[in-house]
Amino acid sequence: MSLHKSINHLRKGETATIVGYRSDDIPIKIYEMGLLPGVTLTKKQQLPFNGPVYLRIQDNPNAIALRESEADLILIESMQKT
Amino acid sequence: MTEMKIALVGNPNVGKSTVFNRLTGLRQKVGNYPGITVEKKTGSFTYRQIRYHVIDLPGAYGIHPSSLDEEIVYDVLVDKTNPNHPELVVVVGDPFNLKRAVFLYQQIREMGLPAIFVINMIDEADRSGTSIDVGKLEKLLKTKVILTDARSGKGIDQLKASLEFQPNGYAPSFAVPEEIAMPLQQVKDQTAPANDYIAWLYLSQRQNKHLSDHQAQELSDIRRAHGLNCHRLQIQEALARHASLEKDLAGVVRDPAKKKQYTTERADRVLTHPVWGYVLFFALLLLIFQAIYTWSGPFMDGIENAFAWLASRAGERLPEGPINGLITDGIIAGIGGIVIFIPQIAILFIFISLMEESGYMSRVVYLMDRWLRPFGLSGKSAVPLMSGAACAIPAVMSARTIENDKERLITILVTPFMTCSARLPIYIVLIGLVIPEHKVWGLDLQGLVLFGMYVLGILAALGSAWVLKQLMKSNYKSYLILEMPTYKYPVARNVVFNVWDKTKGFVVGAGKIILAISVILWVLGSFGVSERFTHAEDIVRSENPGISEVDFENEVQSQKLEYSFLGTIGRVIEPVIEPLGYDWKMGIGLISSFAAREVFVSTMATVYSLGETDDELTIRQRMAAEINPNTGKPAYNFASGISLLLFYAFAMQCMSTIAVVRRETNSWKWTFIQLAFMTGIAYIAALVAYQLLK
Repeated sequence: MSLHKSINHLRKGETATIVGYRSDDIPIKIYEMGLLPGVTLTKKQQLPFNGPVYLRIQDNPNAIALRESEADLILIESMQKT
Repeated sequence: MTEMKIALVGNPNVGKSTVFNRLTGLRQKVGNYPGITVEKKTGSFTYRQIRYHVIDLPGAYGIHPSSLDEEIVYDVLVDKTNPNHPELVVVVGDPFNLKRAVFLYQQIREMGLPAIFVINMIDEADRSGTSIDVGKLEKLLKTKVILTDARSGKGIDQLKASLEFQPNGYAPSFAVPEEIAMPLQQVKDQTAPANDYIAWLYLSQRQNKHLSDHQAQELSDIRRAHGLNCHRLQIQEALARHASLEKDLAGVVRDPAKKKQYTTERADRVLTHPVWGYVLFFALLLLIFQAIYTWSGPFMDGIENAFAWLASRAGERLPEGPINGLITDGIIAGIGGIVIFIPQIAILFIFISLMEESGYMSRVVYLMDRWLRPFGLSGKSAVPLMSGAACAIPAVMSARTIENDKERLITILVTPFMTCSARLPIYIVLIGLVIPEHKVWGLDLQGLVLFGMYVLGILAALGSAWVLKQLMKSNYKSYLILEMPTYKYPVARNVVFNVWDKTKGFVVGAGKIILAISVILWVLGSFGVSERFTHAEDIVRSENPGISEVDFENEVQSQKLEYSFLGTIGRVIEPVIEPLGYDWKMGIGLISSFAAREVFVSTMATVYSLGETDDELTIRQRMAAEINPNTGKPAYNFASGISLLLFYAFAMQCMSTIAVVRRETNSWKWTFIQLAFMTGIAYIAALVAYQLLK
């Protein structure tokens, strides 16, 4: 089901919108960093051997890095590549 | 003159420290919060007849803490009796993360604190075409909004003028959910908070340090009775606030219609590249290492010559005897032994400070996370471990940004294995004494051994981290949620302030210890109660009839040292250290090294000069000439030298680090475990090495 894709399913360069979270019990920092439902983000790269993911949030010059375990908590709906 | 306490609060990476440096200039000082070693930066300035005392609180994303740093912000702001509790809060944000900054601002206002709002880095917004409707924002926030660019100083005067502003008429934007009404009323009955939002914070925070144990117990009873979970409540608040902020801030920030590609993004394609990112990072480490050794050379030579000159002048002026030795070999040489490391420490801190200022440090965290995780560490441990190469004290303190308790504890426990600059003088002297000046494949053997000692430190740190990871359990999940800010040109004054603070702290701290130890050693070495001490002359005379006058003097001196208090201590511990290849004189050096490693060389100088009459020799010549009375071989031969090198590589010999670890872990248990663990490894390694090599 497309609804249950997480950030980990994104390919490099792919853009998606956050639609929810896998559980209620996620670090508060995810919210505070602005990884909120409705936010559009792009996966820019990932380090080898399941290393952290490098994300860019729309309209924000700062980047965010997550481990795969956190990326897995954030559910997304991927958008058509423009 | 009126006085006023203000606090700077803001998200990380918004240039808050630059604002602070602009406001206070050099009139600032770094201290500690009572009871914990989180750095507290305070400063003051006068503007229009008002004396402002500014405190720069650690960066925080919200009032609900997720690291030790953020706990400070909550503690200072919620507790009216806290000595740092401000009369006005200046919330600093940046134009690209306005929502996040307003989020924090709302929480602070709803706690009942007056606040004004600063949007820093406004130049970056101008350049990217982002514009902010200040009028609209002021109406929304019910306060003054000031636009600044602290790097150039723009808007700072306006900020100073706005500090007198008294905001009012603020209406809370977060309504406590209906279903919490009952527990909230109970909290209000029990703890008498200033307002509803504070009651909500009491309920939704696991720790409220300023409340009594009894009140804390009441709070957890209320939570349990209603089945409330702190974390869930916090998330509830975050989601509610973000939902309303989304609406409220619409139209305040206008983004440029045409997207431009950020320079940072282009730079990161190389700097955080899966291959080139690592290549460049290690190249940078090599450059730092190289810089520490080559650039510091001329400065160190200059300092060494200056102190040698000072010592010889003092030696000529002062009367012959033990006091002469105390001042020239103990105090002057000891202080010189610290001052000589200023160039290296300063260079290292310049690099670390530049990496932090430019935004590269967070890329290091990103790059290293995957490789440190198997050892029970996080990418954020890379910063303490790297700083540990300068000095474990600031390094241990820098571990406080690590959110996960277990990772933070492991980082603190293993950081002192990294080769700090205090080990350097011992390594250099010992390597010079016991490693021959060969060339191996065109490389200097002594240099290779020194490099090997650094590698050994890293291996020891990672290896023991891995062991600790197996032994320790954690209830907290480990995570990495890391913001990587845009690259910026470092602000020179920020770097200078930082390097100055850190270097001064190291020199003053170590200097005091050296001075104290030199005096204590001298006293212990110059007095004694045993027969052989008080009647040394008679005993020597009767045991060696017909001894020449020069030999007689030497014999008396060395016997006096052996039977002084200091000599007694050394001989008591001799059985323990003899298997490692040391004699009792070296034992004294080891004991005093437990205060601080760097005193080893100056201690040996004091000890050897107490036992001799000839003051012409340098420390190194004395050490080379010393004979171990047990073995009859030179005291510093290959086997005992390697054994000493290993002992200093692993042993925990620094009172300041022990004190910092105690404060940072808030546990004597872990402090003792670390002390025993490190010193145990040191003893075993030195023992094995000596027994194999002798």
